Amino acid sequence: MTSLDDARALLAEFPVVDGHNDLPWALREQVRYDLGARDIAGDQSAHLHTDIPRLRAGGVGAQFWSVYVRADLPDPVPATLEQIDCVRRLMARHPKDLAPALTAADMEAARAQGRIASLMGAEGGHSIACSLGTLRGLYDLGVRYLTLTHNFNVPWADSATDEPGVGGLSAFGREVVREMNRLGMLVDLSHVAATTMRDALDATSAPVVFSHSSARAVCDHPRNIPDDVLERLPANGGIAMVTFVPKFVLQAAVDWTAAADENMRAHGFHHLDTTAEGMKVHRAFEETHPRPVATVSTVADHLDHMREAAGIDHLGIGGDYDGTAFTPDGLNDVSAYPNLIAELLDRGWSRSDLAKLTWQNAVRVLGAAEDVARDLRSTRAPSHATLESLDA
Amino acid sequence: MADLQDDLHPAAEAGRADEPYPEEAVVVGPEVYEPVSDPDDAPLTRARAVLAAHPVADGYSGLPQALRRLPWYDLDLGESAVDADVPRLRRGQVGAVFWSLHLPEGHDGDRAVGATLEQLDLAKAVVAAHAEGLRPARTAGQIVDARNCGRVAVLFGPAGAAALGDSLSVLRSLHALGLRVLTLAGASWAGEAGLTRFGEEVVREMNRLGLVADLSHASTPTIRRVLALSKAPVMFTRSAARDLRPHPANLPDELLAEVGEAKGLCLVPLTAEQAGPTVRDVADHLDHIRTLAGPECVGLSGTYDTRSAHPRELRDTSCYPTLIAELLRRGWEEADVALLTWGNVQRVLRGADFTAHAAQQRRPPSTATIAELDG
Repeated sequence: MTSLDDARALLAEFPVVDGHNDLPWALREQVRYDLGARDIAGDQSAHLHTDIPRLRAGGVGAQFWSVYVRADLPDPVPATLEQIDCVRRLMARHPKDLAPALTAADMEAARAQGRIASLMGAEGGHSIACSLGTLRGLYDLGVRYLTLTHNFNVPWADSATDEPGVGGLSAFGREVVREMNRLGMLVDLSHVAATTMRDALDATSAPVVFSHSSARAVCDHPRNIPDDVLERLPANGGIAMVTFVPKFVLQAAVDWTAAADENMRAHGFHHLDTTAEGMKVHRAFEETHPRPVATVSTVADHLDHMREAAGIDHLGIGGDYDGTAFTPDGLNDVSAYPNLIAELLDRGWSRSDLAKLTWQNAVRVLGAAEDVARDLRSTRAPSHATLESLDA
Repeated sequence: MADLQDDLHPAAEAGRADEPYPEEAVVVGPEVYEPVSDPDDAPLTRARAVLAAHPVADGYSGLPQALRRLPWYDLDLGESAVDADVPRLRRGQVGAVFWSLHLPEGHDGDRAVGATLEQLDLAKAVVAAHAEGLRPARTAGQIVDARNCGRVAVLFGPAGAAALGDSLSVLRSLHALGLRVLTLAGASWAGEAGLTRFGEEVVREMNRLGLVADLSHASTPTIRRVLALSKAPVMFTRSAARDLRPHPANLPDELLAEVGEAKGLCLVPLTAEQAGPTVRDVADHLDHIRTLAGPECVGLSGTYDTRSAHPRELRDTSCYPTLIAELLRRGWEEADVALLTWGNVQRVLRGADFTAHAAQQRRPPSTATIAELDG
């Protein structure tokens, strides 16, 4: 048997829990939620990284669907409810393949039934509009993690990719974390500043997740996790789910992206400009400067390091499929997880190590958050604190 | 369909295996109403007996909003700062109540979705904190369950049309969170000119979900269009008779007749402003609407804790027996009182669920957008 066969056999027993997939946003942008126009029951490889046949081929057993919305919308709350509705409709449309899951027990039940446990994660504190009531509404609708920020700061937490604001978490930010603990919603520290990561680890009484982040020691990008934070995961019990996004995991791609952005600015465009003229400048740059290509091995390097820093019990996978334009060679869509597992087998990872990476750690973390919530709910009432009352 | 929806007549027991299957078809007719009070008793005694069997389903309460203004409260033992607490709901023989999620006056509709989520969160927290007295309910069946457990059923709604943020996905999410009633006023798609194309799609999606349309404060063109369009019965959560007392939310006689034809439900608010300053005024409205729309189309809306003035005899939620006694004194049949207090709301909620079950077989969730339909 090749190591790829071994990988597939292993995934049949311990499938992948993926921490972050942006299919809902892709469906919103491409077809305005017309699920018939992008029927994921069949092959959608021309348009999407994700469809059910490829999730099956990839050995995916549980997916946190991201209900991300842009932070610059005039009102992110209704858009977040639309994203949630999209996931609920997907689950209703594909009941044989997607199993609605709210708990660790639901995830295990889905695995036993051979269905893909479908969970939801909200990406960015802007989705709760500084309201703990709205946070509880999202929880009631099935959202099981909240990434504290996206690319920009929120009034109560700093983002990794913005200027320092409150310097980590504000008092209200810590209250958000406490309320998430009480609910049993996982605190997701991808996208947040290192200061926010440390503040959140201080404030939380439940394990945290990084739904899609890699190691800063391997590739120095603010979206990745510094070693001192990885080293705190054993005490916290949480997990870091490695992401595949080339411009975060490959140093050459980080440098290339910086140069491309600089080129855009030199031509008088914003570096994220996607107008026709902007794209023309960008394409001209890409022709003279070939985009560096990450590989399966690049991602495995991160996992090797994260394992050193955090330990085998504190790793997971968060591909960010359909949330990134580019993917590493060999990890081109959701069918490709076996390639990563095969690479790790070749590097000497044991079957029991890989079972933890793919399935067991993530299920354990959600279950632990539920246990903490059960304890807290018996002693603590819902918080009605406001940004004004705590951060004034 | 009426038989299926009529909770006054409990379903026949399931057949027993040892009974032979009947040779001929058995026609089950509507059961005759069995009186529960002694006609020779005093009206108040009779009212209590009727309410014990057919408690009040109150169509509108502002309690969650009123509690938000209080630093501390205890609904279990009694709370004088509001019109409704558990002891007075029990004394008033209230079996179910709709809690309004309308946004406070002055809210301009901006960020209405988030504000509605907060209202809903608050309402759920209040119910959860008073589990000995209150129980959340979504359907007619759950209301009956709550009653069998000795709890007052709380339903969430109505919310204002602005709560949708002009999105059917948000409508579905609010429904999933427990919203049961939506007022079709206060949005661009349900204005003075009536429903836009998107507004009509909202009504169809509400039918598909089992959300009841509330037409109090809706414009007359909107009311007429929804009466024609809706496959499920509609409600007016706070409307009295305009011919007795002019008020924009009260219904003129010709509309009351149309509501009767469509088998809608007009819930009369017990407020001085809309119904009048005495219990007799309220009874006059109930008489009038019963005559014009029919006994199966009239109900009660306490409208307590909304900062409205109430008739002196109906100052809080403990006073319903006084009103029912007045109706019995006027010669109302017990059967009509039973419809007024309990049966009609059950009928409307069962109708909404019945329509939803049927519609969900035929229609997928609507993905129409306001931009696409109203340009």
